[in-house]
Amino acid sequence: MSDAVLEAGPPATRGMGMTRWTGGALLLALVAFAVAGPLLAIDPARQDLRNMLAPMGGDYLLGTDHLGRSILARLAHAARLSLGFATLALLAAAIPGTLLGLVAAWRGGWVDRALSILADMILALPGLLLVLVVAAFAPGDIRVLFLGVSVALWVEFFRVVRASAASLLASPEVEAARLLGFGPAHIVRRHVAPRLAPVLATLAAFGVGGTVVTISTLSFVNVGVRPPMPEWGNMIVELMPYFEEAPAHVLAPAACIFLLLIALNLLAGRDPR
Amino acid sequence: MSLLVENLSVAGPQGRIVQGVSLAAGPGAPLTLIGETGSGKSLVAAAIMGTLPPGLSAAGLVRFEGRDLLPLSAGERRALWGRRIALLPQEPWLSLDPTMPATGQVEEVFGLVRGQAQPAASSASTRLLAALGLGGKAAERYPFQLSGGMAQRVAIAATQAAGAALLLADEPTKGLDAALRDDLAAMLNARAAEAAVLTITHDVALARMLGGTVAVMLEGRVVESGPAAQVLDAPRHDYTRRLVGADPSRWPRPAPTASNAGVVVTGRGLARGFGGRQLFRDLDITVHAGEIVAVSGPSGCGKTTLGNVLLGLLRPDAGTVTRITAAPVRFQKLYQDPPSAFAPHATLRTALADLARRHGIAWARISPLLQRLRLAPALLDRLPGQISGGELQRFALARVLLLDPVFLFADEATSRLDPITQQEVMDLLRAQMAERGLGVLLVTHETALAEAMAARRVMLDAAETQAAAATEVATAAV
Repeated sequence: MSDAVLEAGPPATRGMGMTRWTGGALLLALVAFAVAGPLLAIDPARQDLRNMLAPMGGDYLLGTDHLGRSILARLAHAARLSLGFATLALLAAAIPGTLLGLVAAWRGGWVDRALSILADMILALPGLLLVLVVAAFAPGDIRVLFLGVSVALWVEFFRVVRASAASLLASPEVEAARLLGFGPAHIVRRHVAPRLAPVLATLAAFGVGGTVVTISTLSFVNVGVRPPMPEWGNMIVELMPYFEEAPAHVLAPAACIFLLLIALNLLAGRDPR
Repeated sequence: MSLLVENLSVAGPQGRIVQGVSLAAGPGAPLTLIGETGSGKSLVAAAIMGTLPPGLSAAGLVRFEGRDLLPLSAGERRALWGRRIALLPQEPWLSLDPTMPATGQVEEVFGLVRGQAQPAASSASTRLLAALGLGGKAAERYPFQLSGGMAQRVAIAATQAAGAALLLADEPTKGLDAALRDDLAAMLNARAAEAAVLTITHDVALARMLGGTVAVMLEGRVVESGPAAQVLDAPRHDYTRRLVGADPSRWPRPAPTASNAGVVVTGRGLARGFGGRQLFRDLDITVHAGEIVAVSGPSGCGKTTLGNVLLGLLRPDAGTVTRITAAPVRFQKLYQDPPSAFAPHATLRTALADLARRHGIAWARISPLLQRLRLAPALLDRLPGQISGGELQRFALARVLLLDPVFLFADEATSRLDPITQQEVMDLLRAQMAERGLGVLLVTHETALAEAMAARRVMLDAAETQAAAATEVATAAV
């Protein structure tokens, strides 16, 4: 069926465009909150002890916690921490993961075997457990946490890139490009990268979401970011005992995590192409 | 006549693609639609089947066993699939379930579509496969262990297991060599006694073997139809005449090549195995400048491997290859499936510009070459998937010619093109070869094409024991 009409592909439907648009807008709003929020000059550590657990909508837009600190200010600082940390961790995982995946696919042989064995060893441990083990060496040290997350995350990029690149590199189009005298840089740019880009974008979105959840989970079990530094996970922990008096206060950080994940999932949704 | 099509049209967003098509077929009265790629023949089949791509709609009358098919809902259509209407897909080895042995693929049709209980379905499947020549051990094989011809048989068995009264065969000879094509024609003929068989092909030889009615399609219309013998032997429409004349058996014979031209590549005592199987051994081959050497033989006999060894893509297990120059870019290849040899996301202009930049070729050299190959400049801004297979193969030819090759390996380079396009590409290849003193290794499973193109031919044998017996045939020069 190579009739020209059939190759135009299905028309991009409105629905899928809207989905991504919504996700993008939501993510942009969260990023703006993370960037602009801390500039509002409300100290997230300032305690207003006469206004503990103040309700929403009074002097404090989202109320205060059990120590009289502004929840809005703390959420904004936590957003900056989570998004900044996740973005950096993602880059630290995606760049080496992608490059090593390409090297393994290109070189094959013992290089490929060695890298694959390393990846399989890391993959044998559940991601969260791995981060937990690394983080346990220096609880609360954000650099160690960063190392743990990146070590767990690069494997995903490595494996996906290696598998897709290996089948592409064996294809006639790459054989033709080699015969025509093109080198690895050109082949990666013209033949491999356009195919990998949408897959990497999806992996990146899930990687950021997963990292944010990981940091919050670690705070929740007290090996992650330590109070008084505001972090969504440890905010939930701190406010949990006051759930009966101020349920909405506990839900605020949970809602932030939820919104971020929704935004990333909508963005990473089905590629209209 | 169990199938009657009257005044069928298929319309898309840009207007009508198929119009005024009227056809009929029934048991004992097979119908063959022939025409080039893009002539709309596959759309006619899709309209009958009810599988038109989104955005296209059919109008007119399609009456099958007394029912109007076009007004039926998608669900009612689907209820007919397999039971009353069956599709034999092109390249059926791609449509078989890779995790199921041959007999299972047919058995599930008996069981799930026809509703037979076990063990009746199982024994019916074994019997049907045996009747089609796949008895005993062969029926227990998995698709990857089946040859193209065997996979074709399994697919045919699956289409007839549920007793469909209409069989649509879409390009059934694509990828099959001449011997398998004859087998396939015999199987379709046997099927035609009981069911209406509608075959879509651009293979004139197959149309001749199937007999019955032939309808020729061009640009969405039937330009000529009638009994096969009449249409193919005494074509009235100009397009049909060209189509019939484009068959390689009717091309002028090649002149013998001058033997004083230099040798571009020589293989001595070559041996190579693949997947534990010896493909050829003690094979000697020489290609001179300005000549075409054809390598033919059945599927899987190592034709492509031989070409890749001469190119230097593969190392021979034994023997030596001597090339006239050490520059690897002067040894080039044309691929069987042109779209698979181009980066799909880059326009052809980008592809050629990359090549020009890599090798310091002035664009001024490219334009006249494209003109020689009859490629319009407007095509440059399209993606490889947006032009026809013939055009893309000519771009592939342009791309390799820019590098001043001394040797070109054409690997089934026209086997996916319709006959007229094949002749066009081959004529251009021949002209360039003569002009530039290019040595060409032409790999094809079509004996007629090998005879028409090459004065010297090498036959590779499939049988393992006879692998050494690569015989060189000198075609008598006319």
